[in-house]
Amino acid sequence: MDFAFTDEEETFRTELRAFLDAEVPDWWSGMFVDDERAMPFTRELCRKLAERGWLTMAWPTEHGGSGASVWKQAIVREEMWAREEPRGPQYMNLNYIGPVIMRFGSPDQQSRFLPPMARGEVIWCQGFSEPDAGSDLASLSTRAEDCGDHFVVNGQKIWTSYADAPADWCLLLVRTDPTTPKHRGISVLLVDMTTPGITVRPIDTMAGPHEFNEVFLDDVVVPRDCLLGELDHGWDLVVAGLTFERVGIARYARAGRVIELLVDYANANGLGHDPIVRDRLADLHARYEAAKVLNYRAISMQAAGEIPTVEASIARMHNTQLEQAVGHAGLELLGPAGQLRAGDRWAPLQGEVHRYWTRNIPSTLAGGSLEVQKNIVAQRGLGLPREP
Amino acid sequence: MNLEFTDEQRLLAETARAFVDRQRDGDDPWPAIAQAGWAAPLVPEGESAADAGIVELALVCEALGRGPVPSPLIATRVLASLPIYLDGTSEQQDRWLPAFADGSAIGTMALLESVSRDEWDTPGMSGVGRLSGTKIVVPWASRADVIVVATADGLRLVETASANVQIDGHDGLDGEPLAAVTFDSTDAEPLGTGDGGVTIAVVLDHAAVARLAYAVGAAERALELTVQHATDRHQFGRPIGSFQAVAHRCAEMRAEIDACRYLTYRAAWSLEHTTARSEAVTTAKSYANEALRRVFMHAHQVHGAMGFTTEHPLHRFTRVAKAFELSYGSTTRHRDRLATAMGLGPNV
Repeated sequence: MDFAFTDEEETFRTELRAFLDAEVPDWWSGMFVDDERAMPFTRELCRKLAERGWLTMAWPTEHGGSGASVWKQAIVREEMWAREEPRGPQYMNLNYIGPVIMRFGSPDQQSRFLPPMARGEVIWCQGFSEPDAGSDLASLSTRAEDCGDHFVVNGQKIWTSYADAPADWCLLLVRTDPTTPKHRGISVLLVDMTTPGITVRPIDTMAGPHEFNEVFLDDVVVPRDCLLGELDHGWDLVVAGLTFERVGIARYARAGRVIELLVDYANANGLGHDPIVRDRLADLHARYEAAKVLNYRAISMQAAGEIPTVEASIARMHNTQLEQAVGHAGLELLGPAGQLRAGDRWAPLQGEVHRYWTRNIPSTLAGGSLEVQKNIVAQRGLGLPREP
Repeated sequence: MNLEFTDEQRLLAETARAFVDRQRDGDDPWPAIAQAGWAAPLVPEGESAADAGIVELALVCEALGRGPVPSPLIATRVLASLPIYLDGTSEQQDRWLPAFADGSAIGTMALLESVSRDEWDTPGMSGVGRLSGTKIVVPWASRADVIVVATADGLRLVETASANVQIDGHDGLDGEPLAAVTFDSTDAEPLGTGDGGVTIAVVLDHAAVARLAYAVGAAERALELTVQHATDRHQFGRPIGSFQAVAHRCAEMRAEIDACRYLTYRAAWSLEHTTARSEAVTTAKSYANEALRRVFMHAHQVHGAMGFTTEHPLHRFTRVAKAFELSYGSTTRHRDRLATAMGLGPNV
């Protein structure tokens, strides 16, 4: 058992921090903002990361990576998430869309789709949820008709982040066999988002104008060589992909950074000795450490070649509830001025805590709701019976 | 970074669990614990042999908590052996450390007085000359051969066989014997020089981790009982564990116990490998104090009225967790320490 990063890993973290300090501009506050500079910035940053070999460093060398340890990749995730993910949508490529293609894709698909990801040149989105298939994802009804050398897709996806970025490709879940029970009969298609018949409609949210989209698919033709994995067996890919996703986001890292901001704010405003403020912030810090160590546990299992399905759900339960707790306690500390948003000269901490609170209202929904995570822990982890 | 156990650690945990499974009510586990080598001196800060560190002690304590198997292991190996190892003369070390290790002697430390808020308070009892006054809530005093007494003037060693030591047992919460120890012009020999504060802090950090591991083991066993009950107990024609309201309580128990467990391992590891050791311990203790409340309230809620009876074993684990919470620092105390470590309120 070893709870320390190696000296080499710590040196790498220092280099990465210096790089990000120089490259990430002050105005950057994440993807879902009404700022035209955001997308071009993330594309440029990903190209620079790729040049240094830092974008896909944990990927195997044959797919454009450098085979770095999962721990170096964890350092990248922590440093990126702490800075509101300046890779923008491309973190998804590295963490699970790429790995799913490596694991389930044909050699042709791998050589076609992975190198552009490794160069930082391509935006992917994922078409999972539908208006009537949320937590019950396996009931999805977007239909792909098998026409031999191609599929014809009709249906609708929703909550599709980055589709309006615009995304170049979509990892799309479709029903290919409507006659079998719901977990079977699902397939995964790799869909060119410029294909005729695809319409993207942004949905405004509390966090801003670009967080979610609806994607309408109307007689969209997808060539057969864009079927990922076996026909009708796409659910296995989903389970593997969601596990990668849950471990793949260092959500605790931003929470830790916001807690640091709150400590500085408390000290600067004469609240550093207030027993209640001290108690609240220490509570958040302990919860942050708990979330972090549970993420490290899941990563350790990955490093040992295991798929930490239950452990990833446990880590996510801690991550997302921590984020919400930090947002609430942070705004309480700021008081009435906590209502003020970025851009208002009187907004404490430039409105950052307000933004953090807002964007984490749905964090217990994304990537599988908190209730779904608990079901996974109860059924797969503890062996409790399913609901009849 | 690697949170997997070594093969040796895994074997140790399995051996300790098998030992706990073999225990029967009324057995004295201490001779077997000593024979297994689990009472060998704890050598802090990375000097110890691989099988003698605080991480390994935590694994043994976690297994004991699954019984629960109350034993004088923590009292002897941490509260008595560690300060004698750190501050004792070679004569004091030769006299006690081998006897602790082979189980022929039991030791403990007396810290708390009736006015103490917790173990971190500076002791009020005078250490000048002979000792007089009362220490309370002293673990295993009734079986101890020697007591390390914390005084305002430093640590003292008192042999219980000597005259003028009166030991009155408390009716403790969790099966661990506790006692009030009254000194009346009792002979005491100094242990180390100075006020002993640094040594006490090291001892408390180690004791908190060992007790935390014991509580985690108790919580893990309580979860197993809870899952078993949720599976076996049928209402409305189905196992109650198939209701999400029940299943989600069990899932929260799993998530909280895992957090406590890995914070405990991190704290144990930090004691041997880092200088920020107290911060890791205080984080774990402040988190677990509250998390284990939630865990055990879930356990009782799922068990229904049966869990409140003393015919069912759940109460034994609940008591271990509450005794742990009340020992070695409250949530409030640890959060205050943690706030300072985080940089809140500098320059005071």
